[in-house]
Amino acid sequence: MTMKLVLEHLYLVLLSVLFSTAVGLPLGIFAYLNRPARKVVLWASEVLQTIPALALLGMVMVLFGAGKPTVIIGLVLYSLLPIVHNTFLGLDNINPGIKEAARGMGLSKWDRLFSIELPLAFPMVFTGIRIATVTAVGVAVFATSVGGGGLGSIINQGIRTQNMRLIFSGTLTLMAMAVVFDAGMALIEKRMNRRATH
Amino acid sequence: MNFWNLYGHKLLVAIGVHFLYVLAAVSIGFVVALTLGILLSRVPSIAKMALPLISVFQTIPGVVFIGLLFLSLGMVPATAIVALAIYAVFPILKNTYVGLLSVDKSLLEAARGCGMSKMQSLFEVELPLALPSIIGGLRMSTVYTVSWAVLASMIGLGGLGEFIYIGIATNNNALIVAGAIPSGIMAILLSLLIDAVKKRITHAPQKEASAA
Amino acid sequence: MIRFEHVTKKYGDSVILDDLSFEIKEGEFAVLIGPSGCGKTTTLKSINRLIEPDAGHIYVNGKDIAETDPVKLRRSIGYVIQQIGLFPNMTVAQNIGVVPKRLKYEKSEILKITRELMDMVDMSYDEYGHKYPSELSGGQQQRIGVLRALAASPPIVLMDEPFGALDPMTRSSLQEEIIRLHKKLHKTFVFVTHDMDEALKLADKIIFMEGGHIIQMATPEEMLENPASDLIRSFMGKRAADSAPVQLTAADFMRPNPISVYKNRGIRECTEIMARRHIDSLLIKNDDDTYAGVVSVNSIKRSGKTTGPIGEVPLSENAVSYVTEDAMESFDKLLNSDKDYVVVLNEDDTIAGIVTKTSMAKAMADALWGDAQ
Repeated sequence: MTMKLVLEHLYLVLLSVLFSTAVGLPLGIFAYLNRPARKVVLWASEVLQTIPALALLGMVMVLFGAGKPTVIIGLVLYSLLPIVHNTFLGLDNINPGIKEAARGMGLSKWDRLFSIELPLAFPMVFTGIRIATVTAVGVAVFATSVGGGGLGSIINQGIRTQNMRLIFSGTLTLMAMAVVFDAGMALIEKRMNRRATH
Repeated sequence: MNFWNLYGHKLLVAIGVHFLYVLAAVSIGFVVALTLGILLSRVPSIAKMALPLISVFQTIPGVVFIGLLFLSLGMVPATAIVALAIYAVFPILKNTYVGLLSVDKSLLEAARGCGMSKMQSLFEVELPLALPSIIGGLRMSTVYTVSWAVLASMIGLGGLGEFIYIGIATNNNALIVAGAIPSGIMAILLSLLIDAVKKRITHAPQKEASAA
Repeated sequence: MIRFEHVTKKYGDSVILDDLSFEIKEGEFAVLIGPSGCGKTTTLKSINRLIEPDAGHIYVNGKDIAETDPVKLRRSIGYVIQQIGLFPNMTVAQNIGVVPKRLKYEKSEILKITRELMDMVDMSYDEYGHKYPSELSGGQQQRIGVLRALAASPPIVLMDEPFGALDPMTRSSLQEEIIRLHKKLHKTFVFVTHDMDEALKLADKIIFMEGGHIIQMATPEEMLENPASDLIRSFMGKRAADSAPVQLTAADFMRPNPISVYKNRGIRECTEIMARRHIDSLLIKNDDDTYAGVVSVNSIKRSGKTTGPIGEVPLSENAVSYVTEDAMESFDKLLNSDKDYVVVLNEDDTIAGIVTKTSMAKAMADALWGDAQ
């Protein structure tokens, strides 16, 4: 197994989570601020995740051709749900007393959002990003099917050639990656929560 | 509608096969997970170590289970079903365990105080209270399984994945979409169904309680 | 300072504020009180436009607030709520500085204000300024909540049941502090509560609301003396009585239904009753139920009789009050007599009860602490 595949996998995951956050965070905020659009946004992100990952990647490939951009777009769509959901929930669950105090003291809507609500919702948003990251590590296995490389290619190759060792090495690397992300981000989360508890 | 004439029958069969895989895998997974979850919740000392382990296993992509089982069992439907069932176990197991442990301790004490045996307390108090969480796990497992069942075709076992794989391999959009949309709809319908069931069984006892 | 003119607010079919008009003067400590759903919180929140009325006008300093930018308006009005609502992501000092910062005060100026305010409630800046709200007790948090509302020295401060969630000890010390702050700062305070004790303690003027109307708007003394409705009276419980003891009569302080016997009862029977009840005297009544006198164990002994009707034993005279008599006078009689009780009679001279030291103490306790028993 080559380092290149590991890095490739990492590259796909990190880039998609980055974009997914860039898209999901505003979408979550939008769902929070705009009551009529809320249901649509939340529902749409949920539906996206019910589509089998491979099928989603396949459909994206139809539009963008085989390659890394397809993988990243597919992964972004697939990891939107936890980020959008958690952003919305994090903002929506803030103690109403805090929101009322902020309004009553004369903070404008955007001032409230940026100086109070988003900082308070951030630990929850971060949990969403963590879930998205771990999911993306697993789903990126399909990248190889649409020409995106990554660790999936080792596993696929192992299955095709009936090579147990290859399958195991691919799987273990994948698991290690997921665990490192999960544990590392959970640690950061814990720190943030300790400070933000009210 | 040339497509329908060419593939219509095959597509219907594929949907049926796909659904059977999901049904069998989730049923097996549910029974196993529920049993394991209950057992784990009885011995919290072991469970403390088991839970992170479950989370780790959950990160293993379904491909791996299918691949490994393919190598040991060969190209039989059981391979796909067992692999999917293993994958379906984790969310249900986790939610069962967490659901059981988060039952209010004072209620357990009350159950004991009422003279309930451990079994009675489990079946009459703990499981009903953990039910929403357990069903939440079931829903998650079902949606995942619909998604991962696509992989059955990777080892030539049919299902909607066949359309997707062939579509990707031959760059045939129609085939990809023909495989993706039914599986998406299947996932959505099943999760709506489970939500409806959850609403029914979790609301009924609450109403009784408030009336009492 | 704050003037409501025909303000109406409805939610669907239910009218929350019904053509409300009143005025709160500058520097006044006004307390809005009433049963839940009476519109007191709605009234408060329409002053800083957290709630917009459907009809009518509200003027602050002569300006119609509907024409003021709500953000600017709120920055000029302090606001304290029951849930405290300190921002958990900011330190105590940052919380206090929220409004001054948005009003573009100099940093050094904000620091100075923060220090001064914190000194006022005995929470030193050096010790608490850099703590997060979650590190403070509930009482300390609400002190900061109040300071935060005062930071930009707004002429008006609105408080929505600010001490409602605090334990009684903390509440009472915060009440003292808020009185002190009001005296010192000469601001207009508008305070919502459902606790009449709190209202009586704090208010210059109590505004009693019910069903979206003002039932009475008066100083605490006026309200105690002349509650405008039965509801207000029940809100004040026995406090009204407490401040006006002149209205109390012997009937309020007596123990009703004392043991009494007719004159023709046998002496032996009477001594037995006394022994059984552990009492040393009996009230004696005539055949027409009117009061005749008192027989004590001693007078029976002195008479040397053991048989015959009790009426033949010489009756002793006890101090007597009538039910309508002023309670004070029956106290005096009790204290000045060598007897253990004063007999209280109805208008028709039948026995109504007795006033003893115990019944007196109990009645006073009821008046002070409510009908606990």
